[in-house]
Parts: sequence; C-alpha cells; structure tokens
Amino acid sequence: MNSKILTFTLFLLMSMLSVAQEVNITGTVLDADSDMPLPGVNVIIKNTTKGVATDFDGNFSLEGVPLSSTLVFSYVGFVTKEVQVINSNPITVQLMPDSQSLDEVVIVGYGQQKVTNVSGSISTVKSEALEQLKPVRVEEALQSQATGVNIVSTGSPGAAPAIAIRGIVSNAGSSPLVVIDGIQQSIADLNALNPSDVESMNVLKDAATAAIYGVKGGNGVILVTTKSGNKSGKTTFNFDSSYGIQEVTRTIDVLNASEYAAILNEASSNAGQGLVFDNIGNLGVGTNWQDEVLKDAPIQSHNVSAAGGSDNMTYFISGGYLGQDGVVGGGDKSYFDRITLAERLNIDLSDKFKVLVNNNYANIKGKALAENSITSVLSNALNFDPTLPVYDDNGNYSISDNITQEIVNPLALIDNTYNNNNTNKWFGKLELQYEPIEDLRISSRFSYTYVDVYNKSFSPLVFYGVGHTATNANPDLSPIVTVDPETGEETSTHNRVNESKTTYFTYTYELFGNYDFSINEAHNFQTVAGMSLQRYKGEGLSGSAQDIPFNSWEYADIASATGDLASQQTGSWSDVKRNISYFGRVNYDYKDRYLLSFTGRVDGSTVFGTDNKYGFFPSGSLGWVLSNEEFFDVNGIDFLKLRGSYGNVGNDNISNQFSSISTFPKYTFDGNIIAGSTLGTIPDETVSWESQIQMNAGLDIRLLDNSLSFTGDYYQKTTEDLLFAPVLPPSAGTVTSPPTNIGTSKTNGFDLSLTYNKTVSEDFSINTSLNVTTVNTEVTEVNNDSKRQDGAGYGIPFTVINRFEEGYSPWYFYGYKTDGIFQSQSEIDGHATQNGAQPGDIRFVDVNGDGVIDDLDRTEIGNPFPDFTLGWNLSINYKSFDFNVSTFASVGNDIYRAYERNSAFTNRSARTLDRWTGPGTSNSEPRVTFVDNNNNTRASDRYIEDGSYFRFKNIQLGYTLPKSLYDATGLNNVRIYAQVKNAFTFTKYSGYDPEVTAGSFVDTGIDRGAYPIPRIWMMGINVKF
Amino acid sequence: MKYFKHTLMICGMLLTFQACSDYVDLEASEVYQIDADSYFQSEANYQAALIGSYDPLQWLYLNTLIGDIASDNSFCGGESATDVIGLQQIDDMTHYPQNDNLTSIWRWCFEGVNRVNYMEENKNKIDFDGKAALYGEAYFLRSYYYFELVKFFGGVPLITDRRLDASDTGTLQRASKEEVYAQIEADLLNAIDVLPASQNQAGRVTKSAAQALLGKVYLYQDKFSEAASMLQNVIGLYSLVPDYGSQFLKSGENGPESVFEIQYSNESEWWDWGCPTCGEGNFGIIHNGPRAYSGPEFATGWSFNLPTPNLYNSFDEADSRRDASILDIEAWAAETGASYAEGYEHTGYYNRKYIPRAGESGAQTELNYLNNYRAIRYADVLLMAAEANARGGINEDLARNYLNQVRQRAFGNSDHNISTSGQALVQAIWNERNLELSMEGHRFFDLVRTGQAASVIDGFVTGKHELFPVPQLEVDISGLNQNPQY
Repeated sequence: MNSKILTFTLFLLMSMLSVAQEVNITGTVLDADSDMPLPGVNVIIKNTTKGVATDFDGNFSLEGVPLSSTLVFSYVGFVTKEVQVINSNPITVQLMPDSQSLDEVVIVGYGQQKVTNVSGSISTVKSEALEQLKPVRVEEALQSQATGVNIVSTGSPGAAPAIAIRGIVSNAGSSPLVVIDGIQQSIADLNALNPSDVESMNVLKDAATAAIYGVKGGNGVILVTTKSGNKSGKTTFNFDSSYGIQEVTRTIDVLNASEYAAILNEASSNAGQGLVFDNIGNLGVGTNWQDEVLKDAPIQSHNVSAAGGSDNMTYFISGGYLGQDGVVGGGDKSYFDRITLAERLNIDLSDKFKVLVNNNYANIKGKALAENSITSVLSNALNFDPTLPVYDDNGNYSISDNITQEIVNPLALIDNTYNNNNTNKWFGKLELQYEPIEDLRISSRFSYTYVDVYNKSFSPLVFYGVGHTATNANPDLSPIVTVDPETGEETSTHNRVNESKTTYFTYTYELFGNYDFSINEAHNFQTVAGMSLQRYKGEGLSGSAQDIPFNSWEYADIASATGDLASQQTGSWSDVKRNISYFGRVNYDYKDRYLLSFTGRVDGSTVFGTDNKYGFFPSGSLGWVLSNEEFFDVNGIDFLKLRGSYGNVGNDNISNQFSSISTFPKYTFDGNIIAGSTLGTIPDETVSWESQIQMNAGLDIRLLDNSLSFTGDYYQKTTEDLLFAPVLPPSAGTVTSPPTNIGTSKTNGFDLSLTYNKTVSEDFSINTSLNVTTVNTEVTEVNNDSKRQDGAGYGIPFTVINRFEEGYSPWYFYGYKTDGIFQSQSEIDGHATQNGAQPGDIRFVDVNGDGVIDDLDRTEIGNPFPDFTLGWNLSINYKSFDFNVSTFASVGNDIYRAYERNSAFTNRSARTLDRWTGPGTSNSEPRVTFVDNNNNTRASDRYIEDGSYFRFKNIQLGYTLPKSLYDATGLNNVRIYAQVKNAFTFTKYSGYDPEVTAGSFVDTGIDRGAYPIPRIWMMGINVKF
Repeated sequence: MKYFKHTLMICGMLLTFQACSDYVDLEASEVYQIDADSYFQSEANYQAALIGSYDPLQWLYLNTLIGDIASDNSFCGGESATDVIGLQQIDDMTHYPQNDNLTSIWRWCFEGVNRVNYMEENKNKIDFDGKAALYGEAYFLRSYYYFELVKFFGGVPLITDRRLDASDTGTLQRASKEEVYAQIEADLLNAIDVLPASQNQAGRVTKSAAQALLGKVYLYQDKFSEAASMLQNVIGLYSLVPDYGSQFLKSGENGPESVFEIQYSNESEWWDWGCPTCGEGNFGIIHNGPRAYSGPEFATGWSFNLPTPNLYNSFDEADSRRDASILDIEAWAAETGASYAEGYEHTGYYNRKYIPRAGESGAQTELNYLNNYRAIRYADVLLMAAEANARGGINEDLARNYLNQVRQRAFGNSDHNISTSGQALVQAIWNERNLELSMEGHRFFDLVRTGQAASVIDGFVTGKHELFPVPQLEVDISGLNQNPQY
C-alpha cells in the first residue's frame, strides 16, 4: 500500500516537474522579404490544437509551451515554418513569401496538390495580378497572364469576352467550365464576381487535370478561389476605390463633307447621271459623326471587405460597386452597373466537424446601344452623310434625303434607342466537412446558382426621312396608315414594347472523401472519391404589346400599351438538364521524385440518347522530378521536372433527346389562320458525348536560386469517336433531330512561360514574366453533305464570310481574291470572263482556272485567329514605390473590315481619295460609280487586314504612404496609385481596335463597327486597417 | 425537386449505380413539351394534325414556278445569271442531281406525305364523329403530295403506314411509277367515298376536288375513259367566271371557278428569312414581281419567271386572257408613269396572275403575300375532260363543247369556236390548255405527258428530262437509284 502511495506521489511530482518544463514564449513574425511584421500568422504547437495568432505588429505570446516542442508558423501566401522551442527567450521568425516556396499548393478539382507534384498542366493567376489589372470581369486578367488561354475582349461595358482554352475544337461552343469555390458555374456567371474578392484563378488545361470534371471538362476548367479570413482574432479591413476616364484613342479616316460631295459627283457622272451637289465650294469639312458619338466616359469601382476570425471560425465579407459608362453614345444609353456582396464563413463545429457557408449576391443593371452590326451607332457614324449638320433648322436631328436604307443620323439612332436590363444573381454553397480520423475528410456540399434576368426594350415610332426603310412614322411621329386599294382595309404602323423575364436555377449536391496517407514515409498517396448530382433548369417568359401612350419610354410597359389584344404576343420556354457523376483520383509520389496520377469519372446526362446514357472519362499522368534524385547534382538548377499526361474528357453541349409535337404548323381557311400540329423533332437514341483525347508533355525548371523559372508544354487534342446525329434523308421531310455537335478537329500547340523573380535588396525586388501561347486547329470532319457549316457574315445583301469546314482552321474567312485594278479594256479582255467589268474595276482571281469569275472562285482569304499570342509582364518594387506593366501581343490574326455600307450615298473610307481615275492612277482602289456592275464591293480579300497588334494593357504606379503620416489614425497601410489601361496599341489595322469580337468566336475578327477597347486613365487608393 | 430528393437518397447513401439511371432520363412533360406517345388523345388533336398536313401545301411555290420556267413559257430571270442558280439551270435544262430547289421540293412533298402517315400511324387511338371524312381530307393531301413527287421524279419511296425517320436511313427503295400512281388512285377513291360535296370553310378539300384530281391523275396515265367519267362528276358543279382576269384578284379567291385552291394569308406577320415558307404567305409571289418597281397597283419584286415574247404572241389580239395573264411592263409604265428596272433575261413581260399587288402583304412584305394558288380551276377540268374525250375517242362533240366553253369565255363570243376533229382537235385542246393555264405551273408537265416537250423546249433531252433528278443527298444517304442519264 505504501509503495503504491509512494509511486502515486512520485508520479504526481513527476507530472508537476514536467509541467514545470513548460515555458512562455513571445516573439515576432516578419516577412523575410520586406522585414515588415506579419499580423495574423497562425502559431500552433505541433500535434496539438493549441495556438495563437500574431497581432498587428507581428507579435505573439504563447503560454505553457513544452520545451523541445515544435511551433508551426503558417500564413497564407508564405512558406510554413517550424521552430523548436529550446528556451524561453523571445524569438524572431522570418517567413518566406510563397512564390519561392517548394511547398506551394494549387487548388485542383475536389482537392489541392503541391505545385511541385503536379504532373498535369495548370496556369495560375493570383490576386496580385488582379489588383494591378483591375479588370471589370475577372477572366479578362487571363489575357497576358496565363498561357494556353485565348481571349478576345470587347470595349462594350461589362460585355463578356470570347474565351477558349487551347483552341476552338468544336462548333458546339468552346466555353470552359467555371468552378468558384467548388460551385460549378458557366463562364457567363463571371459577370457577377467581384474581381477584388478573388484569391486565385487556376486554369486546368489538360485531360489529367480536367478529367475529374468528365463530360463538363472538355473545354478546360477555370477554378476560382475566393478570399477567406484567418484565425488571428483581429479583423482586417480593406478599402479600395478607383476612378477613371475612358476614351477612344483612334478614329477612322472617312471623307469630310467637301471630299464626300466631290466623290459622289464623280460616282454619279461615272454612271452617266447628273451632279449630286451643284456647289461643293462652301461645304467645308462638315460634321465628323464619329466625334459626335464618341464620348469620354467614367469608370469607377469601390470595394470594401473585412476578413478575420477566431479560434474556431474565420470569415470574409465584402461589398463592391462597379460602374462603367459606354464610350460610344455615353452613359445615358449605354452603361454597366454592378453591385456585389459576398460572405464566406468557415466554422469548426468540433474537432471533427466543420461547416463552410458561402453566399454571393450580385445586381447588374445596364443599357445598351446597337453595336457590331451595319445598323450600329458606330457604323452609322462612319457611313452617314458628312455634309449634314447634327440638327436641322428646326432643331430636329437632321435627315438625309439621299440615304434611304439602314443608315441614319447616329445621334437620332441613340436618341431612339430605349432598353434596360436588370439581373439579380445569387450563388453559394453549404458544405459540411467531417474528419473521423486524421487525414480523412468527408465533404458533403450543396451548391446553388440562381439567376433572374429582366429585359425591356421599346421600339418607338421614328422618322428618318420619307421612304427610309427604318422610318415607321410620319414626320410628326404619327403612325403611317396605308389602305389596300382593292379591299379598302387600313393598316397602321405602331410602336412596340418587349419585356422578358428569364430565370436559371442550377443546384449541385456533391459527396466526396479525401484520404491522404504515406507508407514508410516514402510512398505518398492523395486520394479522392465521390459522386455528384446536378440539375439545371431555365425558364423564360416574354411578352410584347404595341401602342404605348405618347410614344414615350416613360410609359413603355405592357401595362400601359393600348394596342388591341390580337397584337399582344407572349412566349415562354423551359429547359431542364440533369447529370449524375461518380469520380475518383489517386495521386502518388515516391519521395517527391516519381509522380503518378490517375483520374476517372463516369457521367450520365439527360441529353444523351437512351442507348448511351453514361460515359467514362479516364486520364493518367506521370512526372519525374529529376532535381530530387540523389544523383542529380547540376550546378545552378534548383528544380527540374518532366511530366506527361494522356486522357479523355467530354462535352455535352447538346439538347435533350425526345420526340416532341410541334404546334408550329398552321394553315389558312376562310382567310383565318388555324393552328395545327405535327411531329417536330425525333430523338436519336444513339446520341452521345463528344470525346476528346488529349495529350500533354511538359517541363518545369528553376534556376539561379529559384529566381528564374521556365514552364513549357506541348499538347495535342483530338476530338474523335463522336457519335453524330445522322443527317436525315430529305425524304424524312422537315422533321429535325435535336441539334448535336457535327464537327471533329485536331489541335496542337505550345504554352511557354518564363519568369524571373528576384528580391535584390530590402528596397528592391523585380518580377517579370513572358508568356507565349500557340494554337493550331484543323477541322478534320464535318458530318453534313456540304462538309462545312457556314458561320457569320455581314452586309446587305447578307454575305457569309466564314466557315467551319473540313480541312481548314475553324471559322476561316472565305471570299474572292483580288489582283489589282483593270487599267484598260484590253486587260479585261485578256482576263477570265468577269461580267460587268470596266477599266478601273477590281480584277478578281480565277482561282479554279475555269475562265469565268464566279462563286466557285471564292477561297480562303484569311484567318481571324493568331499564330501566337504573347504576354509580357513586369513588376518592380522600390522602397515605397511599386510599378507594374502588363502587355499583350497577338500575331497573325486577320480582320475583315465589315463596317462599310458601300451604298451609293453613304460615306466612304478616306482611301477612296486614291481611287482609279484613269490608266495608271491606282492599282488598289477601284473607280467610284453609282452603278457598280462589277460588284467591286463583293466579299473579297480587299477587306482583309492584318490585325496583329501589341498592346500596353496596363501601366500602374503605386506609392505606399509613409506610416508616420497615419500611424495615429489606426490605419495600417495606405497606398495610392495611378494607372493607364490600354495606353498604347501598335497595329497596322485601320479600324478602331484590332481586338474584335461579338462575344463568340464565330464573330471574331469581323469588324462590323465593333466596340473599341477604350484607353482608361485611372487613379485609386487602397487602405488597410 | 422530386427527382433530386429521390435520387439523392438512393444514390447518395448507397452509391448504387443502377438505381440512379432514372435521374438522367427526361420526360418531355418536364419542359412542357408533348411527346409523340402522349398525343392523339382527343378529336382536337386529330383536327390539328390535319391542319399540319395541309400546311406543306403552302410551301410548294417552287413546283408552280418550275412548271413554267422549265417549259417554253418563261425565262428564269432574276437579278443575274447566278440568282437562284437551281432555277436558272432548270430553265436551261442543265440541271443535275445537286439542286437545292429540287431537294426542297422532294423534302417538302415528303414532309406532307409524312404528316399524313403520322396520322395514319395513330388512326386507331380514339373514335369520334366525322373521323372518316377527316381522314378523307388527309388521303387527298397525301395523294396530292405523291402526285407532285411522281410528276417531278417518277417512282419514289412509297410508305403509307408510318412516317420516315432516322432509322429508315439506308433502307429505302424506290417504288415504280405505276405503284405510286396506284397508291394515289387508291387514296383518292377512299377520299371520294367519305368527303362531303361541300365544306363550310373555304379551302377545305371537297369530294369534287378529289374527283377532279383523280381525273387529272388518270389523264397523266393516258387512262382516258376513267378520266372522262371521273371528270364528268365535276362538270356542271362549277362555272366559268365571266371576267377571266377577275379570278386572280383577291376578290376572286375561292370563287365559283375554284375547284381546289391552296390558301394563304397576309396576317401572320412572318419575318424569318431563315424559313421563308414557314409563315402563311405565298413566297412565290415576290419572285414574279417587277424589279425595282415603283408605281400604282403592283409592288416591287424579284423579276423571276418572265413570260417569253413567244407566249405573249401566241395569244390572239382579241383574247382577253393575254393581258390578264401577262403584264406588258413597258406599256404599263408608259400608261401610268410607273418605273422599274431591267433584271436578267428581261423580256418586258411579267406574270400578272401571281404578281405582288400593293397592300396585299404584311410584316416582312416579301414573305407574306396573301395570293391563293388556284391549283385546280374549273376551266382546267373542262379542258381535261375535253382532252380525255377526244384522245380516248369517247365523245368529240362533248370535247368540242367543253373546249369552246373555255374559248367563249375568253373571247366573249363564239366567233373563235373550234370545229376541228381528230388529232387537230387534240392539238387545239393542248394549245388551249396553255392559253388558259399559262403561268399557273402546268405547262412543263403537260408538254412531257403529251410528248411535245422535246420539240418545244430548248435543250430538252428525250429519255432524260421527262423527270428531274433524285436529290443527290437522298441518293447518298438512302442509296436510291438515280433517274436515267443524270
């Protein structure tokens, strides 16, 4: 008994002794680069949950730390550091910024991975780049910053750029999947994301990384990670505000009033007609309509956020506003306004349970003017009569007596355009994480996206001149009434209002487990397995009515329309899509040297035919980190990795397959239209996913103490094994199979990136990178009788000028080739038969050599996509100054000049002044004439221009104010900056801007009066406290 | 949400694969579509399907244009030699199996057949009063579509019990011309049995319409006695309007001379150039209009289907049908001050029967002309009956009587009556057909069936051009035999 008591007493004493071996530790954590204190760093005793966070000045104090235990210092953006406690002396810990880290992790689908252990292909853009570029839409930053991504933007406020990852491999759409914090979205949803909330964007480019998204991953994946709080116990506020002025830097040379009058007189007399202008001496330069419609317009953004947390929770909340007015027409009729609210909450419910709650709201309002068509504001400004003043003598917008089709006074067009849209969007997730044992985490995630879009437009009664095709009213804006001479029936013109409401609701449930384990400290495994259910539903309801009181936007609503019931129209649609998926991945490495990864996903989709409901998408990748080999001892090479991947991803961009009754057929009895029905679509039960076989080979190398790094990838994508919807025989009539993808293609290219990053001294650091992307796509099969699909076009009459055709690159330009000007009749006689040609007309090339110039001579005349693109970025920090430059070049892309109306009385390009007026006067510009029997304006290479350009996308100079100025106010960091976006653009293109799109690749490079990308002068302030 | 919860429970908890397949099946009703299996539940569904079967009649404007363009009556015209190249080639007898316009005719006529066959598939789902007569209209329509097909292409795939779909790809065979005609006759005889003598809606098929069409079908096969007796059923039920030209005006639509008339309306406000025939307007009309026309009564058009000087001159000066059929644009311009432009192959003449008239269209005006197509006129019935009686050696007096009824209306007196007999009478009837029916889409087929085509049409190759080629796309997909010499 005594001995027992003794033992117990000894035990107690021992325990007390061991307690006595605990010490209180204080210390400071500094940024190794800047020696600035780091607030909010987590300091935890290893293998316990005990810890604190550093305060504002980077100080921490931790009581009861056992001697010989290890403290772990971790902070987002910095390398985690471990320090052993040897005594109670205060310690100073320096954390290295993450960019030089070997332990940096990258977010991948359903998990994360050490960057050094990735064997697939990923491009990353971080928040620093977003802060410098300050994009309106976050994906704009990918241009110049990421390799393998092709982006073509437009200057239209808030408009989406066209975006493709590693080429346009399909005619069914090239948009990548977007995943925001695990929430699956579409590229269109990025309009509602505040760029200043984004921590990083990772672009998954090859099959190895995208296959975890299976049938959705075929066009690549953009993973967006947003900012979150930390457990420091302190709240960090961030306020950012900027204001800028946008301006259009170039105008297009068109004829001024005197030139216009002289050219018209010449064109008229060449056609044997009388003079148009009897006296051209006093016309002067007239009105420059471009100057009238182009406005300097403001852009501003204001964001505020708070991030923080405590021992068992972190939070991030933010609010933002962005307002951008249009440079074409000004902010009254053209703007984009966005309000965003975001909330991230991560709560540790217990040691084992954690809950993540994300919610985002965005409200987007806007108005738009016609753009990118022959009836757009810019097209009207370029083509309208320069001899007319803006207003006539009565103070009304002036009217042309000569121009009676399409083209109108551009200011009157702006005045007569009325529309607005209002979008509300909510997206977010509720995720429960459970860790039953160490390194096993089970996640149960419900995510949602709800979008509600309201649009209204009003077409008033307008007068652009008697007999003008766009006129639908008398000069006093009363309706035009016409009478059928036979029956005496009256018909009248009307104004009309259209309203529509559309909602999209997508929700996804995902259940998956991550388990990481090691065998013998050498064989490391990261595994994930899970399933997902997704449902999408879209519904639209629209209505229109006529006879709005007072012909006024103020009253423009279906509620106030007085038109009879028969003139009211309604419409609705609805669409449902569901997917079910099972997925899994194993990442393996042997001592960080040999990397192996296998991913598989099974996808089922409602859009597939009953015979092919499920697809399996496997991929695998291998990597070898040579620099981790013991034998590897090359001076100067710090890191060297070779990697390769191969796999299959898919695309389900098709419609649901079922037979449906069409109630479209109608017939007339007794003069009354009667509705009928018939079978409208018939299903193809064999329709399946588009499958892409993708191969990637890459190399990562770091030199000079990790300051110089290079990443290079070569890839091939082959779209094959595609089960087509058969082309129905004509005997099947007009019934259709639901649309499916009908093309296959092969794509290859290089993604190269070279980065130099060096902290030279405490005061000076530099980071510069060069990114090169090449894409080469050939359409290998188009499964219809013509072996092609016609694309976009322009002009009146409408001419299609690009094609998706077997044997060519996607959407190549198509038309006649020209060969100078006929100088004489004998040249015409010596040329292939070209009906209507006269001296001074364009000589077209007899491409097929049949002796006749006709449709069959049309051929490839250009390619809207670049041979390669290049981004160069530079970032310098010197003392309190920071300086950033971002540039982008696109080389080898062609542009089709499609904004010239080319009718008799419309204005013309100034190059008309160099026209042919007799033998030897010109070999490029044809004679002018009102009767163009040669059809000189037919679609030809005459309108193709080299659209290569080099652009300074962004120049920013920032200055961090000395802390002494505001130390007393409690502010922590105040930085002011000045910025010029799109400062200079070097190009040979004669139009406003060489970056031309209407938001999709089929329209890329066709300049119908595309919205120019403005230069923006901007000032801003960033405050942290 | 129902699907979601259900599947979530089973798939989420158990991860069993099979139980989840329902989740990726989609019912048409979920997106408010009616699928084929759940249709034909009420009489209204049948009525609607019948309307759907009438609908393709409105698309057959090319059949009418080609009936004259392919013949000696008119030039293709248009803006230039390449304007609607398919029609230009047909005008020049240089057409070949790749021809968008012929493919359209094939596709649209088969769509008509398929829509009736779709009704046939579902014929026995329910019963209601008047179902037999409803199917009588449907069978008439099928015979009309098949008759157009056999006129253009000869023997075609013959399917009567179900509509063609993707699964038929590669399995189709051409039936013989005789088999197609036998089916047309059977359909029309069935229709005649059940159709009423009159309908309460103008435009619906009547018993007489079916009889007139059957008479025509017999005549195309040289079955003269059947033709004569079938057409006799219609004689006396209709009358010739006194003013020949008046029947082609809006006020003349569905008049006493109209046996079967394809209906159009200008009230659908159609605007979609992607499918110009999808509205309720007659897309053929704009083709016939004078180019860049500005002036009274008519409206501008595309200057296709230009009557030849030969046609104009074949009319007697005293024949009221010349100026009612053909617009002499130069004389008209001189008289009214109207202006116009000359297009390709300008002759100075326009088809006045089917010309765009001011104020008779709506919305996208090119697409919405209301002009009905007078498919079978009583004058045609009289001339067919005359021909059957004359060529069949049945009753020459009756033949002359019918012929002279038509001529008396044209001249306003009996001074121009025909009194010949034998082959001269037959030739007189044939000539009269074109004077009476020119620019109404009959000429080419009359010339072919009477063996006159080679002697009248430049470039016509006997043994080849009697039929148009089967569309290359159909040959490629379905492996059908091509017509001779194409």
